[in-house]
Amino acid sequence: MKLNKRSVAHYALSDSPADHTGFLRIWGGPGTPTTPSGTGRRCWFVLKGNLLFSFESPEGRAPLSLVVLEGCTVELAEAPIPEEFAFTIRFDAPGVRPHLLAADGQAAQEAWVKALSRASFGYMRLVVRELEGQLQEARQSLASHRCATRKAIASRCKPQAPNHLSPSPENGHFLPSNCSSMGSTEEGGSRPAGRDLAEWEWQGPASFLLSKGQSPVSPETSCFSTLHDWYGQEIVELRRGWQQRALGGQPECEP
Amino acid sequence: MRYNEKELRALSRQPAELAAELGMRGPKKGSVAKRRLVKLVVNFLFYFRTDEAEPLGALLLERCRVAQEEPGGFSISFVEDPERKYHFECCSQEQCEQWTEALRRASYEYMRRSLIFYRNEIQKMTGKDPLEQFGISEETRFQLSSLPRDGQSARVSSRLDELD
Repeated sequence: MKLNKRSVAHYALSDSPADHTGFLRIWGGPGTPTTPSGTGRRCWFVLKGNLLFSFESPEGRAPLSLVVLEGCTVELAEAPIPEEFAFTIRFDAPGVRPHLLAADGQAAQEAWVKALSRASFGYMRLVVRELEGQLQEARQSLASHRCATRKAIASRCKPQAPNHLSPSPENGHFLPSNCSSMGSTEEGGSRPAGRDLAEWEWQGPASFLLSKGQSPVSPETSCFSTLHDWYGQEIVELRRGWQQRALGGQPECEP
Repeated sequence: MRYNEKELRALSRQPAELAAELGMRGPKKGSVAKRRLVKLVVNFLFYFRTDEAEPLGALLLERCRVAQEEPGGFSISFVEDPERKYHFECCSQEQCEQWTEALRRASYEYMRRSLIFYRNEIQKMTGKDPLEQFGISEETRFQLSSLPRDGQSARVSSRLDELD
C-alpha cells in the first residue's frame, strides 16, 4: 500500500511541536527479538498528534517507524511480561500484534500511557466541538446582552461603517480585509508564511472589536464618529449573523 | 520508515468523513486520471480501485495545501514540494467545494489551532479556561506554544534524502 512517506517524514522532522517525546525500549522491530527477551532496542520516540514516530536518536534524520494511533488501546503491560515500566498499544484489527514498549521509570511510563491514550483524532475532535459549542453560547449571550442595552442607540445608527471584516467563503472564518496572502488557495494544515498565527488568522468578530480597544464606555473612545463606527460594526455583524442563521448556516460550525 | 500495513488497512475501514468515486491523477508527469474510490478517514485520504476492498494507497493530510482547480476539480500538495500535486476530478462544483472544505479541516494541526483559538476566545469572553473543568488544561497539545513555527522547510528537505 502506498503512502506519501516523504511528506510524512517531513511532518515528523518539522518543528511543529511534539506532544510528547522520550526514549523508549521497543521489541518486535528489525534487529530485535519478537518476544520480550533482552532489553529491547532503545529508540527516541516523538508523538505528534495521532502519529507516533521513532528515531535512532533525538538527532535522527529520518523516522525509523510510524504508528497511527487510531482505533487502539494503550495499557500498562501486565504479567507475564517481565519488563518493568512496560505498556502496550493494542489494535482492534485481525492479525495485528500489540506493540510492546517500555519506559525508563514509572513517571515516564504513566506520562506516555496518558499521552498516547489521548492522541486520537476523535479525542481532539470531541474537545474542539465542545469548545465550539461553548464559544457559540458565549457569543450569543454577549450579543443578546449588547442588543438589549444598546437598542435605543442602535436604532438611530445607520450601518455606514466600512466593512472591516470580510468573511472568507473558503474557510468560514473572518479575516481582516487587508489580508493579502490567501488568494484562491487555502492551506489545510500549514500556516501562511510570515504571519503570526496567534495574532490575526483567528480573529473572530468579537475579538476583532474588543482588540481595537474602543468601546462605548471606554475613556479612550475618542469622538462621536468612533462611537458611531463601533455601533455600526456591531450592527453589521449582528445582521450578518441573523442572515446566516436565516439561511440555515452557521459560519463557524462544522457538521 | 516502517509502518504496519494491516493497521493502516484497518484504519481505511473505519467510518469515513467523506467518500466518493472521483477521478484521480498522481503527481508524476504524464500520469493519467483514473477512477478511484476516495475515502477521508481522520487525517488520512485513502484511495481504492473502484472494485477492490483494500486501499491502493493513503495520503497523510498534515501540512498540505488544498486548492480548487478549474474546472470542477481540486489538488492536494504538501508544503515541502508545492508543485507536486495530486489531482482530483469531481462531478460537480458542489462536490468539489464539499471536498475542499472537508480536506482543509482534516488535519490534526488544523484542529489543534481551532481548539487553541476557541480556548482563547472563551477565556477572553468569560474569564474562565474552558479546559479546566475537564482537567486537561495542562496538556501539551492544548498549549498556545504548541503551534508550529514555520520557515524550516529548506533545512528539513535536505534531511529527507536519508529516507530508505
